[in-house]
Amino acid sequence: MDVSTKLDTSTDPQVGFRPAGSLDASSALAPYGGHFGPRQAAHLLRRAGFGGTPDDIAAFAQLDAQRAVDAIFHASDPDGTFVDYPPELSTMTAAQYGPRKTAVQLWWLDRMLRTRRQLAEKMTLVWHNHFATAVSKSPPEMMAEQIDLFRLQGLGNFRTLLASVTRDPAMLVWLDNRYNTKQHPNENYAREVMELFTLGLGNYTEDDVREGARAFTGWTVKNGQPLYRADLHDAGVKTFLGRTGAWTADDAIDIIVQQPIHQRFIARKLLESFVYSDPEPELIEAVASVYAISGYDLAKTVGAIIRSNVFYSARAYRAEPKSPIEFAIGTLRTIGATSIPPNLPGVLARMGQEPLNPPTVKGWDGGPAWINTSTMLARFNFINALIATNTAATKTAPNVSPDALVRAAGGFDAQRIVQNLVATTLQNDVTGDVRTTLVAYLDGTNAGESTQMANELPFGPENYQEKIRGVVALTLNLPVNQLN
Amino acid sequence: MKRRAFVSTSLGVAVLGGAMPLGLAQAALAQAAPLAGATADPGNVLVVIQLAGGNDGLNTVVPYSDDAYHQARPVIGLDPKSVLRINDRIGFNPALAGLDALFKDGKVALLQGVGYPNPNRSHFEATEIWETASPDRPQQYGWLGRYLDRRYPNGTKPPSPFESVALGDTLPAALVSAHVDVPAIGALGAFSYNTGRDLASKQSAGVLYDGAKAGGSPYLAMIADTAREAYHGGDELRAKIAGYTARATYPTDGFAQQLKLAAQLIGSNAGTRIIFVSLGSFDTHAGQRAQQDRLLGLLGNGLRAFYADLAAHGNDKRVLAMTFSEFGRRVTQNASNGTDHGTAMPIFVIGGAVRGGVYGDHPSLTDLDHGDLKFATDFRSVYATVLQSWLGRNPSDVIAGSFPTLPIV
Repeated sequence: MDVSTKLDTSTDPQVGFRPAGSLDASSALAPYGGHFGPRQAAHLLRRAGFGGTPDDIAAFAQLDAQRAVDAIFHASDPDGTFVDYPPELSTMTAAQYGPRKTAVQLWWLDRMLRTRRQLAEKMTLVWHNHFATAVSKSPPEMMAEQIDLFRLQGLGNFRTLLASVTRDPAMLVWLDNRYNTKQHPNENYAREVMELFTLGLGNYTEDDVREGARAFTGWTVKNGQPLYRADLHDAGVKTFLGRTGAWTADDAIDIIVQQPIHQRFIARKLLESFVYSDPEPELIEAVASVYAISGYDLAKTVGAIIRSNVFYSARAYRAEPKSPIEFAIGTLRTIGATSIPPNLPGVLARMGQEPLNPPTVKGWDGGPAWINTSTMLARFNFINALIATNTAATKTAPNVSPDALVRAAGGFDAQRIVQNLVATTLQNDVTGDVRTTLVAYLDGTNAGESTQMANELPFGPENYQEKIRGVVALTLNLPVNQLN
Repeated sequence: MKRRAFVSTSLGVAVLGGAMPLGLAQAALAQAAPLAGATADPGNVLVVIQLAGGNDGLNTVVPYSDDAYHQARPVIGLDPKSVLRINDRIGFNPALAGLDALFKDGKVALLQGVGYPNPNRSHFEATEIWETASPDRPQQYGWLGRYLDRRYPNGTKPPSPFESVALGDTLPAALVSAHVDVPAIGALGAFSYNTGRDLASKQSAGVLYDGAKAGGSPYLAMIADTAREAYHGGDELRAKIAGYTARATYPTDGFAQQLKLAAQLIGSNAGTRIIFVSLGSFDTHAGQRAQQDRLLGLLGNGLRAFYADLAAHGNDKRVLAMTFSEFGRRVTQNASNGTDHGTAMPIFVIGGAVRGGVYGDHPSLTDLDHGDLKFATDFRSVYATVLQSWLGRNPSDVIAGSFPTLPIV
């Protein structure tokens, strides 16, 4: 079956999609050297971050694909822009669980919104979903430290990352490894490390779980910090994944990452996080070999993926539903918000993705599971509260200026404003009918009755702000904007 | 027929004098012809009430005549004179006056000592266990979600999008299903495409979603469909329930108001059959009495208004409500006049069709498992009963393992 590895760059606004099929593996991972305009730039910024601001997209569209990825890897924040730990936590009492949790959530969401190092923050979210630890069991302070760990090591070496996660207090609490001792082995962590974090179900035996658990003994938590206690570690000989020795936790991790099945497991995970679900076996194999040859280097592996032809293929373009966090942060970045609405954690929970609180150790199911009528209304009403009904929401909405999106159009020409808006926010991925409806809304020629004065007047200076807010909300609530 | 008479006679005794041993009731049931699932009335409604945070069972149904109770709880124990007596051993916390009234009407089955083997004391994991009915291994879908998946196989859809509804902002694990989209309705106002005063914007959104074309990514078609359903869903729901007027005065708290909405869904033509409601925050590690008594008051008074409203509309016999909590609490009070996470608890099954009474003995306060109550009835027996006798579904379709049903409906 023919599967193009090139994005359809014609002016046809149809969203490109081709079904899964065999792939030209030799060219799939080759660096993409084709046309690079606003659609490609916006795609890269959505996947390797939380979406570009209109200025970012315009600036990136001046580069080529390889220089654009260079820019993503070299991005930095001015010193002092962010703190690595939410400062409020030190003044809150233990009883204030809710406020402590919210403080960590807002601290992280703010970083997603404002950091120039968008890829590092996106990787942080990828690992949060992968090593899915929840604040329902692990305290907010530990969660903040775990998030910072993903931020620091998320693009480093996977072996090192896994060794750090094994010692991470939030994880030691979450999967009970702090209770895993020579006297009373607890297999929870050993099992999930293999099933969910590194190998996948069916690629290890129950004996491997038991023997692995022995290797992971000795790590506990004291005063919120990891503590290794040699007296609790089982120093005996174990046979783990076919190898026999007096393995420690780090030995077990070394053995795990050397499994070819692990290399394919991580390759699949990264492809699903950055390109598309259910990637072709040839593609997994190609990425697994980049990962293995690089010595488990995540920056090199992710870099190869987002530089590739397949990353820009029609099958990848706007092919996956945005997660609630991608949708919300992307929206805020699009409309130029400079701060996170304080109610956002709760709004995200209604959309189905409360940050720091994945539903199970498997993380969020994602894909179609994001989308149902309740979560869709939560997404619509997030946009509406933020943009359309500004009067009711001024308390919680950050200072946004949706009219900046159409300023270049100038004046009161509804056609031109809509052209401008769908180009800036959706890279023209809409049909003519949609444009017509949006123009009719601005002109007041749709049949709707309204209690708002704005709609009884012709589109002009008296109702400009209201109308612009309305049309921006309608545009961002289009189904295509739910796709990443 | 014969067995039915036997059971209700026995229950008459239970209500008046004491508890019918569950084992005896189960044995009686086992002799009879099985309650054929298919005979369950299709109009039956199940309301699941979560008492989130771990409700302390011993201060809910109080073993007031047991010295061990008063020794374990010198400060937070209830005065025997204050409890609403059920029999010479147990009585309701006086905050549960509303539930006591329903009990005296014969509408409440009190199941004592409900739990499961190797109980989990983590809120998160224990809640998952109760909501997925799977203590031994994690389950992706909830017990009611699996019921819905069996009921609507192969892409069939419920006759109404509001057949199953979670009242609250988030979908509980119990209702997570592979194939059926269960709406979570926090408030009617929020279950709507809200554009404030700008109705023209709302109108245009309707044009956009109705006209959204399939094509592109497979998700685009699905998103467009869902957007259309979501956009119209709020108005559709409001239209369906518009003709209903409550015939009881509900308390003004959020829980009672959710029950009011539940009665409205049940009493109108929304086609609602399963409702999930949650009442928090029972995690009473400190200063338990004030907090738990307040919550039990909300529970009892809300339920009394709910069943008064249902009865006034002739719906009380087709509505079965059941409570659950992720765990009970420890027998001995802690240093902060609260209680820590424990194990077994009482469950209430309420409704006009319920065979009211006390089922099972109160768990012993001296024969403990590491300071915690031993359970007598597995919660999956309660679920199996609801599935078989109320929803007309073979329990083994939904719950792994075999659990005897209880003669409570």
